[in-house]
Amino acid sequence: MKKRKKNNLTKYNNMGYVFVLPFVIVFLIFNVYPVLRTLYLSFTNTKIVGVGEPGWVWFDNYVRCLTDKFFWKALWNTVKMWGVNIVLQLGLAFLLMMVFSDVKYKMKGLKVFRIVYYLPNLIAATSVAFLFQTLLDWRYGTFNRIILEIYKLFGMQYNPVDWLGSGATAPYVISVIQTWMWFGNSFIMLMAGVQGISNDYFEAAAIDGAGRWTIFGKITLPLIKPIMMYVAITSLIGGLQLFDMPFLMSNASSASYKDMQTVVMYMYKFGFTTGTTQTGYASAIAYVLFLIILTVSVIQVKLFNRKED
Amino acid sequence: MNWKKVVSMLLVGVMTLSMTACGGKDAGTSAAGTESANAGTSAGTEATAGDQKLVVWTLSQDLVDFGERYQEKTGVEVETVIIQPADYPTKVQTAFQGGEKEPDIVVGEPQMLEDFYDMGLFANLDEFGAKDYEGQIVDYVWEVGQDADGVQRAISYQITPAGIYYRRDIAQKVFGTDDPDEIGKHFATYDAILDAAKTLKAAGYRIFASDSEINYFSGDSAWVVDGKLNVSERRVEYMDLVVELYKQDLTAYASQWATPWYMAMAGEVPILTAETQWGTDEMNIWDAENFKEATADYETTEVFAFGLPSWGVLTMRDNVGDTAGKWGVCAGPAYGFGGGTYIGISANSERKDTAWDFVKFCTLNEETADWWIEFSQGDTVSLVSALEKHADDTNEVYGGQKLYSFWLEQAKGIDYSLVTRYDKQIGDAWGEAISNIKSGAMTKEEAISNFYDLVESTFAGEIEVSRDLLK
Repeated sequence: MKKRKKNNLTKYNNMGYVFVLPFVIVFLIFNVYPVLRTLYLSFTNTKIVGVGEPGWVWFDNYVRCLTDKFFWKALWNTVKMWGVNIVLQLGLAFLLMMVFSDVKYKMKGLKVFRIVYYLPNLIAATSVAFLFQTLLDWRYGTFNRIILEIYKLFGMQYNPVDWLGSGATAPYVISVIQTWMWFGNSFIMLMAGVQGISNDYFEAAAIDGAGRWTIFGKITLPLIKPIMMYVAITSLIGGLQLFDMPFLMSNASSASYKDMQTVVMYMYKFGFTTGTTQTGYASAIAYVLFLIILTVSVIQVKLFNRKED
Repeated sequence: MNWKKVVSMLLVGVMTLSMTACGGKDAGTSAAGTESANAGTSAGTEATAGDQKLVVWTLSQDLVDFGERYQEKTGVEVETVIIQPADYPTKVQTAFQGGEKEPDIVVGEPQMLEDFYDMGLFANLDEFGAKDYEGQIVDYVWEVGQDADGVQRAISYQITPAGIYYRRDIAQKVFGTDDPDEIGKHFATYDAILDAAKTLKAAGYRIFASDSEINYFSGDSAWVVDGKLNVSERRVEYMDLVVELYKQDLTAYASQWATPWYMAMAGEVPILTAETQWGTDEMNIWDAENFKEATADYETTEVFAFGLPSWGVLTMRDNVGDTAGKWGVCAGPAYGFGGGTYIGISANSERKDTAWDFVKFCTLNEETADWWIEFSQGDTVSLVSALEKHADDTNEVYGGQKLYSFWLEQAKGIDYSLVTRYDKQIGDAWGEAISNIKSGAMTKEEAISNFYDLVESTFAGEIEVSRDLLK
């Protein structure tokens, strides 16, 4: 009787495979296959998929990518935009986390603030792009108008800045918009980390006479390190894949375009733009970007771990 | 315990079904999206329900008008969908490679055609007897519609040779004549254009509204010859001309297609400079009303000429205002053309015979050509017999000039062998180099070097770049 029961259980356990089967099938078709196919394409000279017989060029596309100064320029643009964005985004989220997790202030209304801060993330990228293009218009944008009025108050002349048309400002404008869109997300993550810390630690520290900064530095910070690492790595991955905002807010004929073109925009040029479609090369760019992200993520994890040791 | 298995299977079944249902829902939405687009663009085509139907994907309103006319004449229902040019190639490519039977008719502009030919998007029109019509369409248009093997894939209903549209009254005052041949001499070379620009400025006029007017005439050689980048001396002369026009304040500093540019067709425009255009805080060159207000106190001038393809007749018609009748058209420094919609049949279509009938109706039917000339109020058709028939038609906006015979002559001069698939990208890169020099962002050497880098990186392995200009 006992043996029969065990057999039934084993059989029942196997049903798990059936449950995950639909997901696995979808995952194989929509994730694994495209990833492998892109790898294959990156070793070929395919221009347009389905047109002609692709020939093997092995690592030529990779060599081309690594020696392409416009690729490196696009990577630099991406890093620049991401770098400014990540400092602002995490800085702001961290600051808010400190305020809301402060043991003495005991700020109220966390739930409301959490929703409000997260709201920009719910707006479609196209709407955000349109909104900021209007606000930052170099002639009629509210932003320039406000600055103009302030200058007038002091009797000074203000030459409107073409925020999105100038290469000196446009990438940083994108960084600020990205920050506005994503700081709520980082804040929620960090707060979740803080709320996961047992109150016992804080109470014990308070009894021992630890001050606000000591508690923050010795208890809060070390215990939210895994969450911080998660936020940093996801931001890095998302940041290096930056596409929608600069793509929507730039114009190929604008002077600022060469400073706003990110790696994924550069890949798009070869993947989907009429006249320059070279799918093989675009695939290689995708893999080089993947390797860069992987390398930086590994370094990031190592650094975090070393600090922990 | 078999019931557990049954429940498990049921659950898995429901999950799978729900996933399939999701997919089904997506398909449903996209179909609905297409339908609504159709409803928006094919207004008026529902009235006549034929027993056959054609689906047309296009870039502009023209094919909607042709579709309605065809439906009227034949009873075949034509559903026309307009797609934005930026999205068009990707959408067509995706539909075609997905094996979609529709659209039946696809169009392309010259810069898209080579990719479409390589993709096998267009059906072979020679199989329907297109060769029988050779000679009936202006030569260069016929050639643009052929793939690398000389197989006819598409035909256009229009020709788009470029010309210089000039003000006859100003010509008379400054040059003492308004004769197109005589005025054409002032546009025959880049040096002549620069001299004419200086003469016009001294007389209080500006030769062009923008410095992009000679773009259509900027080359007399191909950008790529035998796989090598070819930057001819003439390209460099064009670069120098544009920079000089800009630096010496010889244009009205209007951006092409912006308010002051259109305003210049109707008469006086404020004289802008590079500084006023980019440095004041009260002006929006894209907003007509604001621009007028902001420049009310500016010194004004009148613009002498515009460089546009034959479809510029329609642009001018809508914007010349009181200057109607004072215009003339003459030849530019080279033969050139710009744009044009080429109609072909999708290789996947299951209604190829009807689609061929539609292509013939739009491009090879004299009655349609006559109708289109009248309906479009001056578009220039590609059917030689129609052009010859209308050769003596005069256009009152242009002081009674016989434009159709002029355009036909210009079209005959177009050498299509100079056109390559790389022209758009390389032309844009060259334009960027010119802008960099104009704005002072780069020296001429730096700009040319950057141009070489850009071409080399974009077409690595396809185009050899020897950097001759820097040697």
